[in-house]
Order: sequence, then structure tokens, then C-alpha cells
Amino acid sequence: MKFVYMGDAEQQAQFKQLFAEFNKKHPNIKLEPQGIPSNNWATFANTVSTRIAGGQVPDIIQIATEGQRIFASKNLLEPLESYLEKDQDLVDDYFNDIDPNLVKWNTEYASHDGKTYYIPGGFNTVCLYVSKEIFDRAGVEIPADGAWTWDQFRAAGEQIKAKTGAFLIPAGSGYFTDVMPWLTTNGASTLNEGWTQAAFASPEAIEAATFVKGLIDDGLAPKPGGQFDAPTQMSKGKLATLAGGRWPVIDLRRLKLVDKTVVVPWPTNKGNGSPIGWDAWPITKVSKNKAAAWTFITFLMSKDAATYFARIGGTIVPARRSVADSPDFLDNAPEHSERLSDAASYATPIPAPDRGSETQKVIEEAWLKVLSGNGDPTQTLQEANAKLGTLL
Amino acid sequence: MTAASAPQVLAAGEQQPAKPTSVHHKRQALYGYAFISPAVVLFVAFIAGPMVFAIGLSFVAWDLLTPSQFVGLDNFARLVNDPLFGKAFGTTFVFAFASVVTHIVGGLLLALAANRVMTRALSYFLRTAVFFPFLISWAAVALLWKYILDPTFGLVAYYLSKIGITAPSWFSDPSWSLPAIVGIDFWHTIGFTFVILLAGLQTVPSTLVEAARTDGANTWQVFWHVTLPMMSPTVFFATVITFIGAFQIFEPMQIITGGGPDNSTMSIVMYLYQNGFQSFQVGYASAIAIVVFAVIMGVTILQFCFSRRWVHEQ
Repeated sequence: MKFVYMGDAEQQAQFKQLFAEFNKKHPNIKLEPQGIPSNNWATFANTVSTRIAGGQVPDIIQIATEGQRIFASKNLLEPLESYLEKDQDLVDDYFNDIDPNLVKWNTEYASHDGKTYYIPGGFNTVCLYVSKEIFDRAGVEIPADGAWTWDQFRAAGEQIKAKTGAFLIPAGSGYFTDVMPWLTTNGASTLNEGWTQAAFASPEAIEAATFVKGLIDDGLAPKPGGQFDAPTQMSKGKLATLAGGRWPVIDLRRLKLVDKTVVVPWPTNKGNGSPIGWDAWPITKVSKNKAAAWTFITFLMSKDAATYFARIGGTIVPARRSVADSPDFLDNAPEHSERLSDAASYATPIPAPDRGSETQKVIEEAWLKVLSGNGDPTQTLQEANAKLGTLL
Repeated sequence: MTAASAPQVLAAGEQQPAKPTSVHHKRQALYGYAFISPAVVLFVAFIAGPMVFAIGLSFVAWDLLTPSQFVGLDNFARLVNDPLFGKAFGTTFVFAFASVVTHIVGGLLLALAANRVMTRALSYFLRTAVFFPFLISWAAVALLWKYILDPTFGLVAYYLSKIGITAPSWFSDPSWSLPAIVGIDFWHTIGFTFVILLAGLQTVPSTLVEAARTDGANTWQVFWHVTLPMMSPTVFFATVITFIGAFQIFEPMQIITGGGPDNSTMSIVMYLYQNGFQSFQVGYASAIAIVVFAVIMGVTILQFCFSRRWVHEQ
């Protein structure tokens, strides 16, 4: 039974421990996990598609939001209704423990015809990892309740710059981590709710891009266009906050910054906001091991598996709230890491239409053009919006 | 008549040597085929086969996941009206031209310098140092330079600031991105051109150089009228190889800039990759591949034609 998932060497090592647990419980199922290293989900989805074209069709594919609808729409996946009915109690236990939004989005965004093709798994939202040391040195208070506005955030940045010389926040052009948090906290997004129309040139989106450009112009954020290691710069006292989901915790542990950082929601202008992307597990239509594949998926849904994965240092937020709120997830992690899980309640699913890679490229290019001062925000986002329209 | 061609007379009792039989010929031929078969199999599997397959794919529309459809010449017709294809082609030509010029001039200067170094140890060190970056994978080189040229935290920005210069945003400014990639490519691959040109330089007969000096030629005249003409076959080879490599440039654009900003570093092979493996337009990508192949072949033929005017064959 072949299971394809995204993971570099380090993540594959973590997954292997999880697979060993499965094999202990189900020694008669021969699991053949295949990790594919990739720096984003769009590339992972492309790699899997290429393998399928070459005749290598796995039984289960770990698919993130970016690829879920397109895989379902290509008639590659088995509808799961009969499996859900068969193990109703187990499924109810799982769905009652995860954020109701994930259940809703699973058919709203991950299906082209209303059927259930996936079981949603862990997810990532975006919050800020804030350096307590740098804020303390600058005499800036970190909001205890996690609520702060763009203006308050900017004012904090000015004080930090003046007192410590540190930058406030990186200003990149990554779709999930850099673009969407600013848009969603200003009531905007790149596409409309149904992903049928481009919405990247709304006044709110332009305002967000202009605000971030202002942070760079005023020296509160480093210039975009190169590459630096944000956690390392934070450890050197040169960067006060960095954006991310669960994944920065690996670097923060390595740099011994866990106790020196706190997770705070993204500052807001119109309201709380964050993008969200989640893993999901489908069974392929051509699988000859559907029963074994479902057994493995039920294992992944179990509290034991989620706990085990959280404990060994997974880079996603467990879907099960009971695990995300437990010491298995919160220990050896920055204070208020539960806020990553809380963000699922107000987050916006990362818009990922069928031509996801191309839309992402258009969005990131335009954002970078504005931030680097090579394009007027209004004109650049309008041009990008027109391009997005042709891709939907 | 020479002894070699004199008719052989058999002595009494001596037998005519056995003529090779057809079985012997066949066996010899089989050995020959057996020896070349690994190369033929590899060539068919990895070069000729995929090439024929790509030609076939260029006439279909295929998204990898659903069955393909025959579309005739539509993919080629689309190329004509695709502005991004034209832009990628132009960018690739500019890059290839810059790459050939910098590599040949830079490689020649380095080879001349290395050839004049008298200390053997220093000469070996120089050759190793120049060639070493060529051994590093493109992925590592691209990431390394992305860090070095970071406009805020990069080493170059740091040292430029020390002399009062603000570093540009190398990879987010369309006017700097392609020159930056040309520079990185030069650093990474100059070692290969350097080694070829150094080898060519060392084949120039010293007797000709000494004769020219005896006739009163100065250093420049010796280089221009003796060394360079004698090296011209090597320079020609380096030019052809550098152009072919540069026209297929992909990795630094893919890893550093993603083809941006504003498609200013979109190479033709990268455009091919994006169409084939990101947009899943495999037929269109194959059509691009066929055109790239035709262009490289055409330019190489042109280079061979023009070479008769300047390459000095001994």
C-alpha cells in the first residue's frame, strides 16, 4: 500500500517513526511510504501529477489545499461516503474534535461535485513569532491578549528600530506567509470566496500592499529580493518578529529561542485574519488496496497518531483540538502556540484554483514588484488582477 | 615493385591461409554490436526515444492527468502569438550572448595569466581555485549567491555600505536581475572555459612565438598574430559549447528569481518547464522544446559556417 507525502529528509525521518507505529498495530499491511521533498505544495502536487502520468499511482496521497480540488476534479479519487458510513463512530469522534470549518471546507473547497474525497488532516495558519528580548529592550509591550492593530504594530517597529536597530518584520512575497496575512487582516483576499473571480485589486488589497511598502521605505522591514535566515537574524537581535505557522518551531528550538518568543496573532486593520492550508488524505480510484488504505487513514485520524506526531515534532498544527491543546503540542514550543490552532476559526482558506501554480506566480510577482518599488501599488495589482482573471 | 606488394609464392607443402568465413564475419559483427549496444540502448532510451516522443507530444494537448487530444499544429501556431515566449527567447539570447562574451574574454585572460605564472605551485593553485566553483551543484551556487546578494543582510551589501554605496535589490529590480544572473553564471562556469582555453594555449608551438619575437613583434602583436590564430580552433569549440550551455540555462533562474521580476529572467527552458510541469500544458511545452532544439542547431550550423573565416586549421 503506497502512501505519497511531502517531506524532506528530516520530515521523512519523523514520518518513519509514525509509520513504525502503524506497522506495529497492523503488521499484515505492508506500507510503502514515499516522501517527496518539496519547498511548496504546488510543486509537490506537480511532482505527484508527473508520477501519475508515468503510471506510478499511489494508494493514498497527502494533498494540501493547493491541490485538493484539481485532483478531485480529474476523476482520480474514490468518493469516501461508503467508508465514512462504515466507520461512522470513529469518523464522528474525529470530526467532533476538529474545527468545524475544516469539515465545511472539506466539501466546499476540496470537492468539485459536493462529494467527500478527502479526510482533512493537520493544518497551518499564520501568526507572528515575537521576540520577547527585543521588545523588552525597546520598552515595547507585547499585547497580552494578542490583539493589536497595524498602526500599533508599526509604532512598535519605530520604537524598536530607534532603540535596538532591529527590523520589525521580514517583508517577502511568499503567497501564504507574506501576502495573505496582510490581505486577510484587512478584509481582503486574492480571489473571491468561491475562487471564481479575482479580487486582488480591491482597495483593501492595495491598502495592504501600500502599508507593507511603507514598512520597507521607513527601514522597518528589510528590502525584499534576497534571502536571509529569519530565525538566525532574530537570534542575533536583528529581527523582532517573524511570520509562520508551526514550522518555525524547529529552527527556534535549534537556536534555543523557544522561551524567548511568543506567538501573537497577526496585527489587524479590519479584523482578525490568517490564511489556512490543510493536509488531506484521499484514496485513489485505481487503488487495489482500498481497504488497507482506509485502515491507514483511520490510523492517521486517531488521537494516538496525532499525539505521536505532535510529540515527535511535526511541522503542522494537529487537526484534533484535544491534541493541539495538550502538552504534546504546547510543550517545548513558544508561549501561546495554541493561537495557531485558534486561528482556524477566523482564517481564510488559501485560494487555490485549478491553475494554482500560475495564480500564485502572478500574485507573488506583483507583490514583489510593489514592495521593491518597481510598480505603483494600484496599477500593479490591477494588472495582476486582470492576469488572474484569465487563469480562472 | 616493392617487396610488400610482391606476389607470394607458396612453398611445396605449404597451405593457403584459411580465408575468413561468413560465420567468422558474423561473429566479429556480433562482437561489435555487443560492444556498442549499451551506448545504443542508453542513447535510444534517454535521447532519441524522448526526442521522438516530444515531437509526437507537440501535436497534442495533454495535462498529464487526463487523456491527450490531437491538435495538429495548434501548439506551434500559439507560439507565434505568445508574447511571453518571445520575451523568454529574447532574454535567453541576451543571456547566451553575454555568457559567451564574458566566458571567452574572461577565460582567455585567466588562461594567459595562469600560463605566465612561473611558480608551479601557484599555477596549480590558480587552476584549482578557478575550476573549483564548477564542481559545485547549481542548486548550492544559486542559494549561496541569494544569501550573498541579499540587499540587507548580504555580504556584498555590507561591503558596499562600507564605501558609501547602497546595494541594489539584485533580484527584485528588473534592470539588475539578469546582469546578476550573468555574473553568477560566470563565477560558476568560467572554470570549464578556462581549462579548455588553457589547454589550447599550451598547444601553441613555442617556436612560432620565439620566431615572432626574434622578428621584433611585441607582446600584443605576438598574441594577436600568433597565439590567437593558433588557438582559434579551441576558442571556436569553447564558443559553441558555451552558447549551447547558456541557451539551456535553467537552474539559477528557477531557484533564485523564479523567472522574475516581471519575467526579466525568464529563460526559454524555464518557460518550457513552467508550461509543462506547472501549467500541465505538456503539448505546448514540447512544441517549445522542438523550437529550442531547432534554434540551437541552427545557430551552431551558422557558427560552423562563419568559423571558416576566422578559425585557423593547421
